[in-house]
Amino acid sequence: MDPPGRQQELPLPFPEFSGDLPLLPVRMVNEYMYCPRLAYLEWVQAEWAESGDTVEGRYSHRRVDQPQGDLPPPGAGSEETIHARSITLSSNSLGLIAKLDLVEGEGDIVTPVDYKRGKRPHVPRGAYDPERVQLCAQGLILRDHGYRCDEGVLYFAASRERVRVSFDDELIRLTENAISGLRLVAAGGQLPPPLVDSPKCPRCSLNGICLPDEINFFKGADLAPRPLFVAHDEALPVYVQAHHAKVSKKGETLEIHVDDKKVTTARLIHVSQLALSGNVYLTTPTLHELMKRGIPVTWQSFGGWFMGHTVGTGHKNVELRTAQYRASFDDQICLHLAKGLVEAKIRNSRTLLRRNWKSDEDKSILISSLQRDVRHCIRCHGIEELLGVEGAAASRYFSAFGHLLRPADNETLSFNFTRRNRRPPTDPVNALLSYAYSLLARLWTVTLSAVGFDPYRGFYHQPRYGRPALALDLMEPFRPLIADSCVLQAINNGEVRPSDFIQVAGSVNLNSDGRKRFIGAFERRLGHEITHPLLGYRISYRRLIELQSRLLGRFLLGDLPDYPNFITR
Amino acid sequence: MDHRLYIVAYDISDQRRWRRLFKLMNGYGEWLQLSVFQCRLSRKQHAELIALIDGILHHQEDHVILLDLGPAENVDPHVVSLGKRFEKVQHAPIIV
Ligand code: SF4
Repeated sequence: MDPPGRQQELPLPFPEFSGDLPLLPVRMVNEYMYCPRLAYLEWVQAEWAESGDTVEGRYSHRRVDQPQGDLPPPGAGSEETIHARSITLSSNSLGLIAKLDLVEGEGDIVTPVDYKRGKRPHVPRGAYDPERVQLCAQGLILRDHGYRCDEGVLYFAASRERVRVSFDDELIRLTENAISGLRLVAAGGQLPPPLVDSPKCPRCSLNGICLPDEINFFKGADLAPRPLFVAHDEALPVYVQAHHAKVSKKGETLEIHVDDKKVTTARLIHVSQLALSGNVYLTTPTLHELMKRGIPVTWQSFGGWFMGHTVGTGHKNVELRTAQYRASFDDQICLHLAKGLVEAKIRNSRTLLRRNWKSDEDKSILISSLQRDVRHCIRCHGIEELLGVEGAAASRYFSAFGHLLRPADNETLSFNFTRRNRRPPTDPVNALLSYAYSLLARLWTVTLSAVGFDPYRGFYHQPRYGRPALALDLMEPFRPLIADSCVLQAINNGEVRPSDFIQVAGSVNLNSDGRKRFIGAFERRLGHEITHPLLGYRISYRRLIELQSRLLGRFLLGDLPDYPNFITR
Repeated sequence: MDHRLYIVAYDISDQRRWRRLFKLMNGYGEWLQLSVFQCRLSRKQHAELIALIDGILHHQEDHVILLDLGPAENVDPHVVSLGKRFEKVQHAPIIV
């Protein structure tokens, strides 16, 4: 069956590739044959994800990647044997550029040889169509340069087998259609839809970015999404908040010293981000290495204030940022998104109260008032009104928050909470809440920018005061789920105690030890797996935050009719 | 993409190559003994490590083996360890 997007065909011959359109790599013809959406994501949106397959693929190419031998121009009259490795050729009429692993031949008759990792597949034509078409495209480029080229060879590295592919009319037609289809898709500015329940998706390295099953599900497909996106985290954060700490690179690891004593090492492949707070010393070579590997560094003041983050050259997906800005100037979209986020936040707060109520007082009036706030929120006509509703709901929620704390056995060591205050927090519970929110804001900021967003332009929060507005927007529904519930856990389990706080000039802060334990509790919360109420699979909060970021992108790029908010049941 | 637990052992005839490999292995796992490491790797990291080792190795003179002990989350390798304790490599956030 033809994948969508391949029906439209350019009349042949191809028009010359003109002006500033970059030539398309032949590898993209292969990706387009595999799935048009994959080619678009990789080529137009510059999305890339490494997988075991892609690493192995590069590895099996390493030997052929050394240029070697010569490809004499056609018509030179020589009858010499040709054996040329790693030759780059382009064709303006095809609009393609290719790096040919190997060209063999004699005189003007040449054969491209393409290296594939893995074993020869046992399929009727000796190879799958994407590989045959990619090879044929190389042949067409060679023909365009004046050689005679009637067949090519696929060399399968694992089984050391050569499979001949003859460039017959049928394959050439298929190839020409793929080339024009790819050119259309690349020029069209329209992300092709994902494949439906395709066996190709689990093998596709971009499945966590593409989200085929999630997109189809939210568009109404009657299929339970396969958990393609959900995987264990390959890497986890490293926090350094100790006084006089120093982080430096040693070989493939980071070494952390405190007061000139080595306290720990972290393998770079297992580091997802480096979170520094306070006056931590980081060397320039280390920072370079981190940027090269795409590991972000976040900077927080010792008090927990989020100061910013450092990344390398940043994400190249300009389309996504453009869509984000465009939507941010549209009042209707802003209001729609803001309403959804506030509604989800109130609902999740309500669930948290219901589940963690520890006092004898009746909570039913409170619960129904919050339900009214939800209805009010849905009817709001503007951001101002919404802010009012959110404020009312928040004060209702925090007025009852104290009822979620376990009554302490010992009066002098208990936590008290009467009302929310910040800047500066004046009691331990408020200090914990503020600190948890700043950890959460930092996490959202890093995740959003890793996905390709500009975290500083939002829809609900105003882009003022240098605050990461988009991160603050999206974290709203997660405040109760991650931050507040982590504060409750830490207090109710006795992980932080009133003695873990210091009071300076009316402001209360965690001390270094208490903070370390609280970060531990926070990370544990992020690793906690929940069943996604809509998608039906289990996912950790850490991955969920990335999933929600990507779903927002899918909505803004027109792939999804709405942004699905996360609401716990 | 889930992690698996590996034991990597190597015999390298040349001191310089041995040191290079030792440095590389430190980035992928925990040192157990002279030329033995314990690693916790995703499929991607496993492929990377093989490619990198291969770049260091002299195929006629050296020998490296990677023993797959199974999924890191739930495998409980039965190990007899005398002299020191054997502990499975952990995967957890680092907080200093
Ligand atoms: S995950 Fe599936 S639909 Fe998405 S790009 Fe890959 S193959 Fe195409």
